[in-house]
Amino acid sequence: MGRRIEKSLRALFDRGRPHFEDKGRLSRLRPFYEATETFFLHPAIAPKNKPFVRDSLDLKRYMSIVLIALMSPLLFGIYNAGFHARNASGLSTDFATVFGDGLLIVLPIIIVSYAVGLFWEGLFAAIRRHPVSEGFLVTGLLFPLTLPPTIPLWQVAAGITFGVVIGKEIFGGTGRNLFNPALTARAFIFFAYPVQMSGDAVWIAVRESVENGINAVSGATPLALAALADPTERIEAVFANNGYAFQTLFFGNHIGSIGETSTLCILAGALILLITGIASYRIMAGAFIGAIAIGAMFNALASPDLPAWFSVNPFYHLVTGGFAFGVVYMATDPVTAPGTDKSKWIYGFLIGAIAVMVRVINPAFPEGVMLAILFMNIFSPLMEYTETRIRIRRRIPNV
Amino acid sequence: MAGAPAPKIEKGPAVSSVAFLPEILPAIKPRLLVKNGDTVKIGTPLFKDKNNPDVLFLSPGGGTVTEILYGHRRAISRIVIQTGRTEDHERFDPVDKEQLAAMDRKEIISVLMARGLWGFIRNLPYRTIPAADETPASIWVSLDPSDPFQVPSGVYLKGNESLFAFGIRALECLGAPVFVCESLGSEVSHEAVAPLVTHRVSGTYPAEDPGVLLYHTKTSPRENHAWFISGQDVLMLAEGLSTGRYPTERIVSVSAPAGRYMKTRLGAPLASLLSGEAAGENRRWIMGGLFRGRSVPKDGYLGLTETSLLIALDAGDPELFGFLRPGLKKPTASRTFLYALHKKPFAPLADMHGEERACINCGKCQAICPVDIMVPFAYKSIYAGEIEDALAHGLLDCVVCGLCSFVCPAKIELAETFESTRHAYHQDRI
Repeated sequence: MGRRIEKSLRALFDRGRPHFEDKGRLSRLRPFYEATETFFLHPAIAPKNKPFVRDSLDLKRYMSIVLIALMSPLLFGIYNAGFHARNASGLSTDFATVFGDGLLIVLPIIIVSYAVGLFWEGLFAAIRRHPVSEGFLVTGLLFPLTLPPTIPLWQVAAGITFGVVIGKEIFGGTGRNLFNPALTARAFIFFAYPVQMSGDAVWIAVRESVENGINAVSGATPLALAALADPTERIEAVFANNGYAFQTLFFGNHIGSIGETSTLCILAGALILLITGIASYRIMAGAFIGAIAIGAMFNALASPDLPAWFSVNPFYHLVTGGFAFGVVYMATDPVTAPGTDKSKWIYGFLIGAIAVMVRVINPAFPEGVMLAILFMNIFSPLMEYTETRIRIRRRIPNV
Repeated sequence: MAGAPAPKIEKGPAVSSVAFLPEILPAIKPRLLVKNGDTVKIGTPLFKDKNNPDVLFLSPGGGTVTEILYGHRRAISRIVIQTGRTEDHERFDPVDKEQLAAMDRKEIISVLMARGLWGFIRNLPYRTIPAADETPASIWVSLDPSDPFQVPSGVYLKGNESLFAFGIRALECLGAPVFVCESLGSEVSHEAVAPLVTHRVSGTYPAEDPGVLLYHTKTSPRENHAWFISGQDVLMLAEGLSTGRYPTERIVSVSAPAGRYMKTRLGAPLASLLSGEAAGENRRWIMGGLFRGRSVPKDGYLGLTETSLLIALDAGDPELFGFLRPGLKKPTASRTFLYALHKKPFAPLADMHGEERACINCGKCQAICPVDIMVPFAYKSIYAGEIEDALAHGLLDCVVCGLCSFVCPAKIELAETFESTRHAYHQDRI
């Protein structure tokens, strides 16, 4: 069976290839052709240089593992979006219909993100005559998961366009970008269209066709509640009173961006990334330590004159908002993180620390993870530079 | 890797032609001393090095020169000698222990150069054949290659221990301390060799490489310049000196059809080492080790210092959704395939396992580098034309072990880039 499919695919691609070769009518579209062909038929290429044996790991496999690690927050996000939509409309919430509705909400966002992103990726690949990079498959899925379920599709298109073109391609393409493209895309939407990205009315994607006809359902995310909490209150109590007990926050059955709510599902993804060695444990652990350390420091400073956030148990920072999602999937992007080991610890630590600082100190932004990661992206080359200089100085010169 | 040799030596068949391959000697510009049709003996000079005319390279066979083949940019790629029924030797004066003890550095160097034995010695950091006026800080001899397809000391040293000791004595005359390194687990117990051992190394490939040993033992930049010679080549050198004849006997490891060691001669045609199905279609012949070896044509010959012939399967057909398979049988140094849970020897497959992409800075290369080079940064320095930066990163410490190219998921030719950059730098400095 597999052999037969392989054979017929082979024949199909062989028939198509002449059109995409240098003199073919569609030679400009060669990157698309090659991306499609190598997706189905993993190429076998003889090495031209020594060593003549090579590792089985390639970038397709590498990025596929990130995609697999994204499946748990994605599937939960679909369920969760569907659940809150139906729940708010007073409809039944059995698993199948909830999941179906969730798909109707989330799938269009992902499709638009992939289609528009692929267009830009392919365009630049065609102009630069280089292959389409698999890293895009990750960007195209990461971005939708950071969005609220009610996001207008045209904004998804605008965001991914900005992320791919401004965040990546103008720096020279994959491997040369300074900022994580998915996060750049999100930052663009966040600052350009704040109405659709924040506030209380964007988190529940009520379908217009429901009988009750309720259109605007509002729900405040835990972070929004926390930012508004009175200094005399305990955040833990505010959360609990609004149905956001620690377990709820951890398991993720609450409103928020599509992929960010379930810390448990994100941990499952993190486990895959760490076991396979695809993501850096140094960055994840650094961010964890950073958030807890700064959280504890704020605890020590807490007083009735300061916002309620100061006194929260630091572990709440890990399960609210996009902290876990950002740290596991965005901060560990190898291109935009430092490539040296000690810097990775510092980089992770500062991401955790800054994310918590933004949340606690800055009333304009209830969430700080995105800003923390983008901010540290800027410093990553400097950190790399410093560490390489130090390590070079330790070498016995050989010139 | 499957197919590591069984520890016994087979005698290879007699051959009717042998060849010398000037092309694979690093940074040598040959000036021919013979022409097509000349009659040569074993030990007749075939060519000398233009840059270093005292260094002679001698014929590994007696008979008639039948072919001088030119390769890329008229570099001499090989000189083939049709061997006669009886082969004559050029006679040199044998050197014994007392004579050796009386020789000074200059004398021994000129003897080695004139007898074609100098070509077995290499220098660090460039890994070329040293010039006479170089003064190395040390001379390294590694007994046991960590590459499973090279010949271990247990095989080539057996019965040759005192010859080996004589060779080491000769090297000691070169005016630098001689360091002999053995591998943990295969210590040499023989009384003639054991006292000579100065270092002991453990670890996987390329732990025993002289460049790696030097990197991890040196304490100052003065030690950067060193020489090295392989254990088996010490025997060649010793035999050439003590018998007065150019040595031609070689023990070569051959990986197919079943791994074995074969006694053959310098410059033997590779086809004589193999038979039947092993030589069949869709095979790639790799000469000189798994990671460092060159790809050789099937009508190729054994090079001067080469002792390992490895037969790998050629890259096969594209695989349906190859990148999504669980990969129980996909060898990898990473943990991204099930193979990682179930490491077993595998038959080498000459396949890139993917296409070249831009570097994503994953750091797998620098994690595996045996001499602590920050590979992505060094590579990008070269890419940007900043050779000084690359040198600061340790370009000259690189031992071209090939592991960075092996692990790179973006399939970037890192080792090749380092080697060619270093070569260009070396050429510039001459």
